[in-house]
Formats: sequence, C-alpha cells, structure tokens
Amino acid sequence: MTQHIHTTQNESWEIGGKTFKSRLLIGSALYPSPAVMEASIQASEAQIVTVALRRQAAGEQAGENFWNIIKSLNISVLPNTAGCHSAKEAITTAHMAREVFGTNWIKLEVIGDQYNLQPDPFETVKAAEVLIKEGFEVFPYTTDDLVVAKRLVDVGCKILMPWGSMIGSGKGLMNPSNLRAIRETFPELKLIIDAGIGKPSHATQAMELGYDGVLLNSAVALAQDPVKMAKAFKHAVEAGLLGKQAGTMHQREFASPSTPVVGTPFWHQHA
Amino acid sequence: MIKIIVNGEDRTVNDAVNIKEMIAELGYTKEGFALALNGTFVAIKAYESTIIKEEDRVEILSPVQGG
Repeated sequence: MTQHIHTTQNESWEIGGKTFKSRLLIGSALYPSPAVMEASIQASEAQIVTVALRRQAAGEQAGENFWNIIKSLNISVLPNTAGCHSAKEAITTAHMAREVFGTNWIKLEVIGDQYNLQPDPFETVKAAEVLIKEGFEVFPYTTDDLVVAKRLVDVGCKILMPWGSMIGSGKGLMNPSNLRAIRETFPELKLIIDAGIGKPSHATQAMELGYDGVLLNSAVALAQDPVKMAKAFKHAVEAGLLGKQAGTMHQREFASPSTPVVGTPFWHQHA
Repeated sequence: MIKIIVNGEDRTVNDAVNIKEMIAELGYTKEGFALALNGTFVAIKAYESTIIKEEDRVEILSPVQGG
C-alpha cells in the first residue's frame, strides 16, 4: 500500500495581507554584481525582497537600473528605513517609500547604536504606532527583548522581526531562549528572524523554534558562491519548517540504543 | 536666487520656485524618486503648490539595494 506522505513545505502562508509559499525573505544588497543579485534571489525562491532609499544625484540612473531588475523579478518588495535614527526620520522614509515602491509595507528599522546597529526600542515603538494608524503594514526590526515585543504589539504590530544577532555578524541565534519566549508569548503573531543569520543551519534553527520565516542578506550575498548559498537557504528554511511540524523527539540525559537489543549476537553481561 | 540644501549640498535656485520647477532646475529628469522638504515627505501631487524658501533642506531619494 502506498503511503501518502503529507509535507507542508509548499503550503502557503500569509503575512502582511499577502499569501506566499516561501518562508525566506531576502535582501538585495552587498552582492558582487546586479547579475549575481538577480540570480541569487531567483535561486532562493524567496517571494519577498528588501529594498531601500538613498540620496540620488541629478541625472543619476543607478537606482533606476536596480529598480528595473527588482521589478522584473515580479516578487513583493519590502522597503526598509535603514539608517534612520529617530521615529521622525523613519516615518518620513516610510512615506517616501510608499510613493516610490507603491506598497504600504515597511521594514521599520530605527538604529539606536551605530556600533552594533542595535535597534532603538523607544523610537521604533513610537514610529510603529504612527505608521500603523496611517495604514502601513509594519515589519519592525527589534531585539529579542520580550518587553519591547509586548510594547510593539500594544501599538498594533501584527508582525515582529527580532534579531538573531547583530546585523551582518553571521553569528546566528545568540539567544534562542529569548526568541522562544517571544514565540510562546505571541503564538498568533507573524514572527521573522531578521539579522545575524550566517549559515543555513541558523535558518533551520530559527524555523525549528517555530518562527514563521527568516530574513537574511549578508549570508547569501557575501558567500563565496551566492547563488548556491541562496539554494542552500531555501532548503534550510524548508527543513526547519518540516522539522518543527513533524515534532522533534525529547532529549534524553543518557544514551538509548536505536538497534534492538533482543537477540544481540555474542551477548554477555558487561560490567 | 536663493540658497537651499539638496541632499546635504548647497545649491541655488530661482526665487519663489515651486518643487516641480526646482526639480527641473536641479536637473532631475528621471522619475522614480521621492522628496522630503525640511524632514517631511511631500507627495508628487503637492509639488506645484509647494514653494521653496531660503535655507530649505531637500532630500531626493531613489531605490537602492537594501537588507
């Protein structure tokens, strides 16, 4: 009899009012070339890509070329407010992004420390409250602090994006216990690990913790072979999701043989 | 002429220009950017009705790669 194995890796999920199959969100920065960026995003099969806004010189076309590539990929864009250091700057950037990119999605990023790029929780909450009232779908970049997460939820956030570790560090999940606490406290929220992912196993771990998705950039863009790494992350996220859904075994303190002990050849009592 | 600051650099434009005229004077011919005046976003539909004044700070931003 054929057993139908039910896998959910291709099941759709919803975030920010849209439906997707991929749980991987990918950045568009730091690639060796626009062609590698395009090929990597395609290889990742991500359906959400992060973009940004920066000062444009008169007559400059660089931004236009980049934007044309992103548009040709026909996936959802998530503009960020990277580089903002106050709620006011982030709100203005969000308004500008909404006009340029034609989306009410915003990855809210308000930096509180230039050295470790840690988000400023006070300004992030302030900006989130204003932007949600204005109809934005806010994807707030935050730390793994549970109380900050609560404050963001209090002002209406339906999505939280706690860091795994510092942006661009590649150190993985510094504090899985805190991340687990956020997951357990907010079972209905959409939770994305954003920042600090370095290896595919980090992404798998994030999904095993019950997170809904993973957002990364440097781990793919700075790999020796970004396109191959993009594929690796696609599989890593799917593996973590399936592992979570399958339910892991309980850890034991000591060894327990997997091979049957009944009928063991040459058996005799060991000390 | 009045002095304004565009993307952090000193520039001069004609007196009493609106944003649409200022953009043309500065040589921004391509579409696809957004503009903030003194830290506040200005929508395209308000360009003609918004007059630029001495010492105004203008930010003109366009899409780039982001993480």
